[in-house]
Amino acid sequence: MVVAAVDPGSTDITPLIHHPVLWASAVGVFAVVILQSVIYFKAIRKAAPAADLTPAQVSSSVRSGAVAAIGPSLAVALIAISLLPLFGTPAVLTRIGLVGSAAFDVAAAGISAGTQGAQLGGPTYTQKIFALAFAAMTIGGLAWMLTALILTPILSKGDAKLRKVNPAVMAIVPTAALLGAFFTLAFQEVLKSPVHLVTMLASAAAMGVCLLLAHKLRLPWLREWGLGMSIIVALSAAFLMTAAA
Amino acid sequence: MSTTTSTETSARFSAFDRTTSIWGPITLGLGLLISLAAALYAAFGAGMGVTPLELVTAVGAVLATFGIIAVIEPVSYFPILGRSAMYQAFLIGNIANKLLPAAIVAQANLGEKPGTRRAELIAGSAIIGAVLVHITTLILFVGVLGTWLVGMLPAPLIATARSYILPAIFGAVVLQSVLAMKSRRTTIVAVIVAAVIVFVVVPLAPGLTYFATALAVIITIAASWFARSKAPQAPVEPAAGESAQATRISEPTH
Repeated sequence: MVVAAVDPGSTDITPLIHHPVLWASAVGVFAVVILQSVIYFKAIRKAAPAADLTPAQVSSSVRSGAVAAIGPSLAVALIAISLLPLFGTPAVLTRIGLVGSAAFDVAAAGISAGTQGAQLGGPTYTQKIFALAFAAMTIGGLAWMLTALILTPILSKGDAKLRKVNPAVMAIVPTAALLGAFFTLAFQEVLKSPVHLVTMLASAAAMGVCLLLAHKLRLPWLREWGLGMSIIVALSAAFLMTAAA
Repeated sequence: MSTTTSTETSARFSAFDRTTSIWGPITLGLGLLISLAAALYAAFGAGMGVTPLELVTAVGAVLATFGIIAVIEPVSYFPILGRSAMYQAFLIGNIANKLLPAAIVAQANLGEKPGTRRAELIAGSAIIGAVLVHITTLILFVGVLGTWLVGMLPAPLIATARSYILPAIFGAVVLQSVLAMKSRRTTIVAVIVAAVIVFVVVPLAPGLTYFATALAVIITIAASWFARSKAPQAPVEPAAGESAQATRISEPTH
């Protein structure tokens, strides 16, 4: 049923975003993460006495990690749910939930769609554009895994040299790269339509309110919920504007 | 420690190092290969008619924009995470918003600071706990509840969510990045460069559309570098400086 409905030109992307192969890869990535955690847990338990850690202290560390992760995990879940209509469950679970992040993956998908003169979500968002965007954001995300794989052994051997990289470079380059990328992406959205512009302003305003309240009322959890809440506020604004039109 | 001989201690540590330096890369590599297979299948195996050139162009545009961050992030996280946890962190993602806080809380609970072997083991344990919670949340709330919820919502609502999700994300992310980076100079440079490229250069030379973001990134880096404050930086305590930077650069990406 799924294979029969595959059609590169169709804007009904459901058959592709819930393709069995994408589901299989999502299950595979989750399985690898669980496998890694089991192997690490055993290794840590064995090494613990050498570091003066009792089994109870190891368990309590696992527990503190778990408790600390509840808020951020729910915040990520909210963002992930808002991306389900765009990317489908398996892609969202692997890319937004694990491995990647909402900002990078959405930016990467938007950039990839742009190389075809298409836009995410609109009338030009066909199965082919989803396929290309999904492939490009995944392969782009692999760059992080690849550099971690290559650089970790190098850093742990002779890391002194790499760590002594000019601190000005380390401070300026990533900041400039991120701000340059996200301002460009934001301005490109502004050009698409007035609704896009207002949606973006609503999102920024909601984030501003969240960060301000987090600061004034000392509610650090509001920081991590900021993006999810801003998305909901901005999409509601977009819905009201398009429904009214 | 008095009951443990130093030979036994180092034997336990080298066993840990052996296990994690074999299985860390294997699991991270497996995650990489599975993701790559899914990506290549979507592009070439599903009958979508994506050509290799189209995929290379799209990936090139993404890497030209974010490639440099993908190199710098692992370097800046290494001092906080330590070798073994690097393989956990870059498989699992959500490092700055979830894994680092989890590790730091667990270390603080046992009165340990990053950098020691004890801290490394505590961080590893905390990450395992964070992973358990994260995976459960994802499967329950996104995989089951979220998918059901999105299936229930009326079609016009879904259409809006699809069409306007980009501005809905970028508005918040831009503001968050500007405030998190706390760098007025670079912010001003980035605004000017991005505005000139989007509103002037691309309309004049539409051929540059594909690489507008990458172009903006490269010019912003170069311009910020030349516009940087030349005043000598106050010496910062290394651990604090590194962790502050890692939190900063990672907000919008991993």
